[in-house]
Amino acid sequence: MDQATDNRCPATAGEAGGSLFSWQALGFTGFLLLVFVGVPVTFGRLPYFITVLTNAAVLSFISLGVWITFSIGRMNLAQGAFALVGGYVTAILATRYGISFWVCLPLSGLVSAVLGALIGWPMLRLKGVYFAMTTLSLTEAIRLLALNGGDVTKGATGIVNVPPPGTIWIFGRMVVPPFSSADPMPYYFLAAGMLALGLVAVWRLSNSRLGWVFRSLRQNEDLATSIGINVAKYRVMAFSLCCFMAGTGGAFFVAFQQNIYPSTYTVADSVNFLLYCFLGGLDYLFGPIVGAFLLVISFELLHAIQDYQALIYGALMIFCMLCLPNGILSLRLRRFDGRRNPKA
Amino acid sequence: MRIIHFYRRQLLNGIVLLALGSALFSGSLLAEEVLKIGVLGVMSGPAASWGLVNKYCAQTSAQLYNEQGGFEIGGKKYKIDIVAIDDRNDPKLAVSGCERLTKQEGIHYIIGPNVDTTATSVQPVAEASGAIYFPYAFQKSLYSPPHGNAVLGMIASYQAGPIIYKYLMDKRGVKSVSFIARNESDPLDQRDQGVQAAKKLGLEIKSSNDTYEPGTTDFFPVMSRVVSNGADLIVLSGVAPADAPLLIKSARELGFKGILSTETAQDIKILNEVAGPAAEGFISVGGASTPEIRSPEMENFVERYRKIAGEWNDEAGTKVYALEMILQTLRKAGPEAINNVELFKKAMDNFSMKNPFLKEDKPLKYVGTAYFSQARQIGVPMVVNEVKGGKFQTLFVGGVE
Amino acid sequence: MLLNGVVLAVNYALIALGITLIFSIMNILNFAHGQMFMIGGFVVYYLYGLFGVNYFASLVAVVAVLGVIGWCFEKFFFQRMRKMATREENSMLLAVGTALLLENLALSFFGEKQRGVPPVVSGVFKIGDAFLPAGRLLVMVLALVLIVGLLLFVQYTKLGRALRALAQDREVTYLMGVNVDRIAALGFALGAALAGLAGGLLMTVFGINSGVGTVYSIKAFIMIMIGGAGIVPGAILGAVVLGFAEAIGYALLPGSITYLLIFVGLIVFLLFRPQGLMGKPWG
Repeated sequence: MDQATDNRCPATAGEAGGSLFSWQALGFTGFLLLVFVGVPVTFGRLPYFITVLTNAAVLSFISLGVWITFSIGRMNLAQGAFALVGGYVTAILATRYGISFWVCLPLSGLVSAVLGALIGWPMLRLKGVYFAMTTLSLTEAIRLLALNGGDVTKGATGIVNVPPPGTIWIFGRMVVPPFSSADPMPYYFLAAGMLALGLVAVWRLSNSRLGWVFRSLRQNEDLATSIGINVAKYRVMAFSLCCFMAGTGGAFFVAFQQNIYPSTYTVADSVNFLLYCFLGGLDYLFGPIVGAFLLVISFELLHAIQDYQALIYGALMIFCMLCLPNGILSLRLRRFDGRRNPKA
Repeated sequence: MRIIHFYRRQLLNGIVLLALGSALFSGSLLAEEVLKIGVLGVMSGPAASWGLVNKYCAQTSAQLYNEQGGFEIGGKKYKIDIVAIDDRNDPKLAVSGCERLTKQEGIHYIIGPNVDTTATSVQPVAEASGAIYFPYAFQKSLYSPPHGNAVLGMIASYQAGPIIYKYLMDKRGVKSVSFIARNESDPLDQRDQGVQAAKKLGLEIKSSNDTYEPGTTDFFPVMSRVVSNGADLIVLSGVAPADAPLLIKSARELGFKGILSTETAQDIKILNEVAGPAAEGFISVGGASTPEIRSPEMENFVERYRKIAGEWNDEAGTKVYALEMILQTLRKAGPEAINNVELFKKAMDNFSMKNPFLKEDKPLKYVGTAYFSQARQIGVPMVVNEVKGGKFQTLFVGGVE
Repeated sequence: MLLNGVVLAVNYALIALGITLIFSIMNILNFAHGQMFMIGGFVVYYLYGLFGVNYFASLVAVVAVLGVIGWCFEKFFFQRMRKMATREENSMLLAVGTALLLENLALSFFGEKQRGVPPVVSGVFKIGDAFLPAGRLLVMVLALVLIVGLLLFVQYTKLGRALRALAQDREVTYLMGVNVDRIAALGFALGAALAGLAGGLLMTVFGINSGVGTVYSIKAFIMIMIGGAGIVPGAILGAVVLGFAEAIGYALLPGSITYLLIFVGLIVFLLFRPQGLMGKPWG
């Protein structure tokens, strides 16, 4: 690890916690306004854009989990596996036992989190490429498990016709109307809500003591141990939080697509979640969100080019990394560096 | 933080501009009556050929019609505009692609998607926005009531299986059979249906549990188990054109002397290149337009297809039917049906025309009532081929009712 | 069954060696490795299959083409990246990007179809109860020759020693007056050429299509994890383990359960021995 990183990270984080706090709060309010008022007003009549934004929102929600594992210095390629687990929990509970989606959603996250904690406990002792590869194997293993799950997962035929989320009644008043596939708007609001909640949670977390502990794990686990931090406990905590987000995200897509197959999440998806983080910038909370929105939207925009869509998509990715190897948000870092923090 | 907003806003602005632009563009085209047809399928990655053939077929037919000034519906000529979207076999992209086609482009007729995963994912969107789609996936629930917007574009293997087995029993004295399938939804389903059909016909099932993973390239191990069961016939259930020659080659190298067959369409060039002489005698369901039965119209199509796609793909012989059926049914249903699929559905029920792609005079209809309890399948002729001297030769032509 | 294991193991070893070489020098998992394998196959398809060039001459061409691709990747992409990135992991995005790029280039240029070539040699050998087609035997022998050649090269030549030194300690190698960038580029080229050669060899048996890359990349990852990342003999050992596990598994179990067990086994194995069979402990 080179010296520059180690110096800079606490500095930016310090800023975030202190003087920049109001800036961040303001920015976040703007973000909320844009997401909940701006987008529906502008694109309310364009269901296709709403669907694309919905996809991007939930994908960035899931990648936010990966970002947490990055913050403890682990490259997590198991996110697809836990999204698949969450998806299957919702699909099975909803189709077989008729349980409401609103119960399934947090439950899926919980099951993923518990599973993540159990698997993560031994697995998090690994580092670097070894952790990455073990988690990659986990993604494949879970997919194959679903494929061979017999009656529980219905194997390769998948679970189809999962009912959409139903109505929520509180004290006899309808709080949430039933979802229908005719209108992607409710899904969009749910997705945006999840993303906003996730962002607030992770933002609070990264500015709390826990966030500091996580970062100290990334920089030097031995040192963290020596000053009395229970490293194993915090590692598992971060990992299961990450799995929780994967599980709820997976559950959302089940309700959105109304089906799940073992091939719904593969290694490629796990890699994509990582890519969103990389592209946005690993050192920034908004990194996965910027990355996911940019990649999802740019892929859709490239439809216009038809034949070479995927090709240009790949070239674009390389180009981005060559020009901005520390993520797109490093643009911002440079600017602040120049103005406020010339030493770093 | 501001930068992010800047970014997003810029992006969103870009989208708005793009949307405006495309709206203006399509507005100017509307003057000469354009009929837009969507193609949604996998056009990149390992299964790219499935969606690409759909796209090339639609583009070829559209080009041929547009050169004659368009396709006539209700006295007006319509230019055919093909809008193709790659879903990368990802259900998420299939859903957003379908939204784009139906809501953004205002399209009501879509060719694709190619597999169960993507087809079932677009079902809610297609139904909600009143679109008819022509998947090449075999999941029965897509085509059976209460669902009615999907039309199967080809012969399902569970329909082809029984017909082939019966023929082989009668003509080649086949008594026992083994199955091998790729471990994926479609092929496994096809195998189960095939096993049932074979049992009904009184064939002895020697084995049916052997599967291989998508992406396998070495079929020696799995094939040696299948061959050791000593069946007269080995059925490759739902085998992809890429895998078939390798499976055949392994079986022959392992000394298998019986008959090999499959219920899906195959590609002769690949068979020759990879399996060579081992492919001799291999029985498959042809693309519905083998050289022997082509009409001049079909020959014309094949020639143009070569120009567009680079080389002929036998699968295109089946996939040429989707666009033709859409257009001809629209002609019968009248111009209102372009934006109202209920009229289209009504016209489907007793639609019948001479099959334009066959030399012989045979009717072309919507079929499948026996399987889906409604006519939601294109009555593509079922051509059964045998490889003879490095070429497909038509064994017999059947069909589904 | 065991014979299958041997054939598989030798072929896999060739793939694993390439990726381990790149990993040891640059600490990057080359996600595009499977795609390089695929391009190697296509070079053989065009030269040998379509234009009738001698098979062995085509293999030489494979080395040249892939070597250039690998060299360019390192020179223009990864070297630049390493100098600018604050976190090492960032180069992974680049690796995935290159994989996507190669795959889609292949799709545009080579088309979406499965390709194969006529067998180089024909005939089948019967050894006991097992069958061994001559084509497979040829591939196996060629692969073995290449592996032995590579091992000798790395062990005894000056360039090989420089590569090993680089893998062990970048800074010290630099201080010893070795042109690190040049050696790294050569190492990357060598790794890419090995992937291409494996593709060119296996192509005669299995055929090739534009989409096979990812499968081989993942297999390569598994192998170097078993053997220990960046360790040359470890890669060979990993290939042997995977080859036999696959051959035995497929013979006894239905298809996908084999791979499920391989993955679960790998996870459990890595938990107990994170450095692989022959690797040095991490960090």
